[in-house]
Amino acid sequence: MNPEDLKFLIVDDFSTMRRIVRNLLKEIGYNNADEAEDGAVALSKLKNGNFNFVVSDLNMPNMNGFELLSNIRADAELKHLPVLLVTAEAKKEDIVTAAQMGASGYIVKPFTKATLEEKLSKIVAKMSA
Amino acid sequence: MSPENLKNGDNDELEALFDQIADQQVWNKAAEPEAPPVASAAPVAQVTEEVLKPGDEPVTDSDTDPHDVFYRVGQLTRKLHDALRELGYDKSVETAVSSLPDARARLAYIANLTGDAAEKVLASVETCQIINDGVADRAKALEKQWDKLYNNQMSLEEFKAHAKANQEFVQDIALQTQTMGSKLTDIMMAQDFHDLTGQVVNRIATMAANLEAQLVQLLLDTTPKELRAQTEEQWLSGPAIDAEGRSDVCSNQGQVDDLLESLGF
Repeated sequence: MNPEDLKFLIVDDFSTMRRIVRNLLKEIGYNNADEAEDGAVALSKLKNGNFNFVVSDLNMPNMNGFELLSNIRADAELKHLPVLLVTAEAKKEDIVTAAQMGASGYIVKPFTKATLEEKLSKIVAKMSA
Repeated sequence: MSPENLKNGDNDELEALFDQIADQQVWNKAAEPEAPPVASAAPVAQVTEEVLKPGDEPVTDSDTDPHDVFYRVGQLTRKLHDALRELGYDKSVETAVSSLPDARARLAYIANLTGDAAEKVLASVETCQIINDGVADRAKALEKQWDKLYNNQMSLEEFKAHAKANQEFVQDIALQTQTMGSKLTDIMMAQDFHDLTGQVVNRIATMAANLEAQLVQLLLDTTPKELRAQTEEQWLSGPAIDAEGRSDVCSNQGQVDDLLESLGF
């Protein structure tokens, strides 16, 4: 699949953050993106849509990033979805948890376009490997 | 999240640690995220009975001997202090109160973050305005030359120079728009303060609600016997100790006001 055709789901409870990530994805070359304001909405959209990539915040109401990741990895249809976790805290235990729970990568806020691009291409490369 | 953790960029060490663990693929068994701990109210009636004996009166403004008042205040304070310890509240109230300096640090963080974002945006805007003005001026100058041309006022030599000027302008536009595009991206990125400050604000609000809940619970548990029936009537469902339920906090504000008023505060 062409990287440009990847369908992203952006999950964050702050609309400004979703908008920023969406614009950055567009600048990097990914024009196909949808949004969800928490893990619960995200999971429901994932089950019903053909998404190829999830970019999710950690701190969210209803269902946080870890819970969402856990649900994705437990679902037969969704378990192989790449999930990039976005976190405002570079806490060691969070990063260890993310890795153990099967996150494809993590990125710390505030991040630059270059960092996001680097993380995405790393994961995309693994996808096609 | 404490202010010390809020640094820009990635940590190579953390990155390596992540990669190391992720490669092990231990995620076949999904880990359960921890539920937030909920403070449980300890049985308080018995201890309160012992500490606040029926004979105790709340301290009031009367024409009693100041030494007598002082003695009684001191006694009450001692009893309250012992009660707190016996009820196991000293730690939780202490934690709630000690979170205040942290709240101040967080507010300072918000002020700094929003200030930096504003500065970044203004700098980008100023750069873009300069570029924009430059482009406008050059376009105007070229337009004048075009008018000259169409009024048959231009010589061949002048026309050659005009053609060159137009070519250079078009080439420069490509660079200028690239710069402006990058500045616009910077302005967009600078809006991320909303998310970061929003999370901090939420935490402070939760902290404040927690503190209030602790104190209200303490107040309820130490209410003298004669006022207890009244407070129970006023406070049917009880305040939200679990500070995660933010919508509860607003609806309880009225209840808190009523309770405090009914107790004479």
